[in-house]
Amino acid sequence: MSSTKRRGPSSGVANRGRGVTRGERHAAIEILAAREVFGLVWLDADLVVGASYGGLVSFVTIGAPVGASVLPLLGLEANIKAVRDTTDAVFELPAVAIMSPLAPASRLNLSVIWMAGDQRYLLFVERVSHRTGLEQELAQQMRARLMAEADATELAGRLTRANRDLEAFASIVSHDLRAPMRALEYMIDELEGDLPADSTGHLGARLADIRAQAQRMSLMLRGLLEYSSAGHKDHIVAAVDTRALVEGVVASLPIASGLTVEVDGDWPVLETLAAPLDLVLRNLVGNAFKHHPGPRGHIRISAESEGDFVRIGVQDDGPGIAPEHHEVVFLPFRRLTGSEDSPGSGMGLALVQRTLEAVGGRLTLLSDPARQPGCTFVVDWPRVLPAH
Amino acid sequence: MSARKIMVLGEIGVGKSSLVRRLVHKTFEAVYNPTIGVDVYQYDVPPSETGAPVSLIVWDTDGNLGDAIFRHVYMKEAAAALIVGDATRRSTLDSMVTYASGFAEAMPGRFFGFAVNKIDLMRPGERPELPTALSRDANPLVETSALTGENVTHVFHEAARAILRRGQ
Repeated sequence: MSSTKRRGPSSGVANRGRGVTRGERHAAIEILAAREVFGLVWLDADLVVGASYGGLVSFVTIGAPVGASVLPLLGLEANIKAVRDTTDAVFELPAVAIMSPLAPASRLNLSVIWMAGDQRYLLFVERVSHRTGLEQELAQQMRARLMAEADATELAGRLTRANRDLEAFASIVSHDLRAPMRALEYMIDELEGDLPADSTGHLGARLADIRAQAQRMSLMLRGLLEYSSAGHKDHIVAAVDTRALVEGVVASLPIASGLTVEVDGDWPVLETLAAPLDLVLRNLVGNAFKHHPGPRGHIRISAESEGDFVRIGVQDDGPGIAPEHHEVVFLPFRRLTGSEDSPGSGMGLALVQRTLEAVGGRLTLLSDPARQPGCTFVVDWPRVLPAH
Repeated sequence: MSARKIMVLGEIGVGKSSLVRRLVHKTFEAVYNPTIGVDVYQYDVPPSETGAPVSLIVWDTDGNLGDAIFRHVYMKEAAAALIVGDATRRSTLDSMVTYASGFAEAMPGRFFGFAVNKIDLMRPGERPELPTALSRDANPLVETSALTGENVTHVFHEAARAILRRGQ
């Protein structure tokens, strides 16, 4: 911002109607000066105060350099004097408050111009318009809000960074641990190969246990890797026939002979992300198949329109999940009592929930075995994906 | 006594005005009144064994100006700056680094120091979470409290001595 500006066209109240006499103009100036709306200070060529006019500048010391009593101008003498060299230039210092016991605490606009005819400077001191109590309060509230917003933004940034670091850590750990786990499985293969063909009993059984644990660990690592990358992969948006997709999922999963599957409802064609939707359906339908106690049962997979979402339900008639376990089943690696021996990494529902969060969807579990057996996982899949 | 202009810079609400009022008037106001524009104070630094007396013209600036302050007429002929942050708000400490680079660019060769204010609000044993660039900066950094007065006079006296040492 420049300190010196060209003087614009004359400002102030326009002279309307008959001409204003010199006496009237002088009276108006006197009123404004008396009300301390403005004050005038004349400075000689060396910026020494020669005279002043108006109560607003009564603190100015006559005969002393202007900077001695108008503190903000102290040290700016060269800048002020520069207005003399440029036609119609003005030096402006806006909204300054002189915090001195000798000067008013008012906020002032200071302007200095060179009056070539008189060969002296004129310092025009104008009081910045009074703020009402309400304006002051509003200004304070605005500042407080700005500060609060800055703090909230900072906290959100910290949280984002922490989440990113955690995801990176999980991704690196799960990826790097898979290699030694594979090596471990190969070594088990070799050990089993070294056993005599007719070897049975304790050693063979122990090796089988180690293999099972190693495979489980590999499965968990793969699940963790998928979980940490959920929502970060660049999937392609394309037209997806959701009925064809769900029927493909059902057909591809192993199912016990006593289970029947029904796909019904209104399955639309969506412009959406096929791979994440496939992941969601595959995990939920797969869970229903895996955890059903059998020997007979029915799985119903339905879809309906629900505002901006397609609501998909995966309903089974198994034992259900008690309400006190509803939160736990969505946590990574958590498995309910009784399902420890069933295959899987324990990451399925966590992965489904994280994927849905990434696309702006929701996952809800409806189940209360005390009232009715079975459970229903309800997916709200957005018809339109979020912009990001 | 010679006079030198020192700018007090920093984000909104870090306590710039409180520091200056504590220095000049020896008072502290709990009510927050934001500075609009600039408040100009005078404070006389007495002579010391290492320096002559000097009158500091303290320009307490509106934190809302942000980095526009460096292009503003307010900045003209500033001999030094005291850059203030709030010990309890990390974002304001990060901003101190930005203010420092802005001042160094706008007023090359001029002294600036840092005041980490509101240190009285830290819990016992707690330290301000300084950004790396700030903790590594060679310019002096002092923890202050406008409420208790801790280090307030010291930080301005140090600035005055630095200004005189540099002949500014």
